[in-house]
Amino acid sequence: MLGQPLVGACLAGALLNPGPQWELWVLRIPLGVGALLQLLLTEPSLPAAQRPRDAATAGVVGASTAILALERLHPSVPVSTGGLLWVVLGTVAGLVSATIGGWMELGLRSRNLEGARRMESLAQEGRIGRMESTFWGGIARIMLRGASWSVAASVGGLAAASLVLPRAAHYLTGPRTGLLFAVLLGVALAAGYRTHVRASRRGLWWAGLGALTCFILLLRLGGSVP
Amino acid sequence: MTDRPLGPRPYRRSDFGRAASRVLYVQSLFTAERQQGPGFAFALVPFARRLFTSAEDRGRMLRRHLGFFGTHPLLAGYVLGIVARLEERRAHGEAIAEERIEQVKRAVASPLAALGDPLFWVTLRPLAGLVGIFGLLFIPMAEGEGPDLRVLICPLLALLTYNAVALPHRFVGVARGYAAADEPGRLLRSLHLAEWKLVLERASAFAFGGLVMLTLAALKPSVAGGTAYAATVFAPLGVSALLAVLVLERRPGRGVEIALLAVALALMLPVRG
Repeated sequence: MLGQPLVGACLAGALLNPGPQWELWVLRIPLGVGALLQLLLTEPSLPAAQRPRDAATAGVVGASTAILALERLHPSVPVSTGGLLWVVLGTVAGLVSATIGGWMELGLRSRNLEGARRMESLAQEGRIGRMESTFWGGIARIMLRGASWSVAASVGGLAAASLVLPRAAHYLTGPRTGLLFAVLLGVALAAGYRTHVRASRRGLWWAGLGALTCFILLLRLGGSVP
Repeated sequence: MTDRPLGPRPYRRSDFGRAASRVLYVQSLFTAERQQGPGFAFALVPFARRLFTSAEDRGRMLRRHLGFFGTHPLLAGYVLGIVARLEERRAHGEAIAEERIEQVKRAVASPLAALGDPLFWVTLRPLAGLVGIFGLLFIPMAEGEGPDLRVLICPLLALLTYNAVALPHRFVGVARGYAAADEPGRLLRSLHLAEWKLVLERASAFAFGGLVMLTLAALKPSVAGGTAYAATVFAPLGVSALLAVLVLERRPGRGVEIALLAVALALMLPVRG
């Protein structure tokens, strides 16, 4: 469950601290990145039928890239839309990272195959302790790969943003950033629709009921949402 | 040649605890050929240590379980408990063939996978994420000074939702499987996995409907910014959502590519201001 993009992004936001002046943004941007990635990277098909995606590190990479880019690039990329640009940047970084990370997972599986064969030969020799160590080694390899990929992809994302954003600063106006965010949100909601509504029986009916309930609640509460 | 030891010892409560904690890693060393086989054998080690005194016997038992094994990882504990019981009886001298244990293992693992994957991967995990996002829209954000606690509350909501359903299976799976080794069919029925799926599926659709309404309400202030500004928010949102639904219908599982393509196209659009 720690592999959920929302959880990873929020953890990265809570742990990264570029300075007290950024505290509010550092906590808000990961929420936006995490929520968008959560909807975009959740698929209704069974894991075996899914494309290989590393959703576990995507949230961490997206949030880290966004926060680090905000701290380093804000003087050269002045935008009037608050943290929206950094949310878009983090989400794109997370999506790219999930795709490349997914390919890397395929390589990990061949290492796993070697590990499994080694476990078998050790079991045959009755060396159970060594067999267990091989398994623990496999777990450590997965964790190390995830951690190193998170760091490498975040640094890569920051480097790419440092190259592109200052040159495109004049182009990234407030309305354009708003448009990019709206488009990403639209696709995220479409992906969410497929996962939560389309995949379930009478899903549309239940979704309508949920929307109506929320609408009534909003009217009763004065229509304010955070 | 049988695995019959000199004197098999009875399992202890701690063995079940150790095995249950090891089932958490059943998916590690996952391969297409063996799937969770290595993880399953690793989780069986505490039982093998209790049953056999010689390393060769332990190795022989574990080697049989290093082959193909595939079920839903959250429910692997039930299969592990059943296998531990059968191995115990075999070690005590009952005429249970290796093939029989393998047959039972596969007979229980397959329906657990068939029921568990749609419940946990397809329904519960997305729902848990959705509940986390809900927290983002429902909990008021910090104004001015003070930390925005949503960064902690939202993931916590997601974790709690998922684990409220999943964790009990992790904890009691091995012990329940062991107790119900003679009646695996009854065990499967008692888990009510299909019923859980139906309820969570509806909750998921209900929550998504609410999320869409809350998102639209959150974007409402942009309407106050003027028609032109509202058009730059609502029009692209609606158009991209509609197009993405249509494309996903034809090319399922391509959400990432569609999102990246949509961003690239949006960058090319002429925007005033």
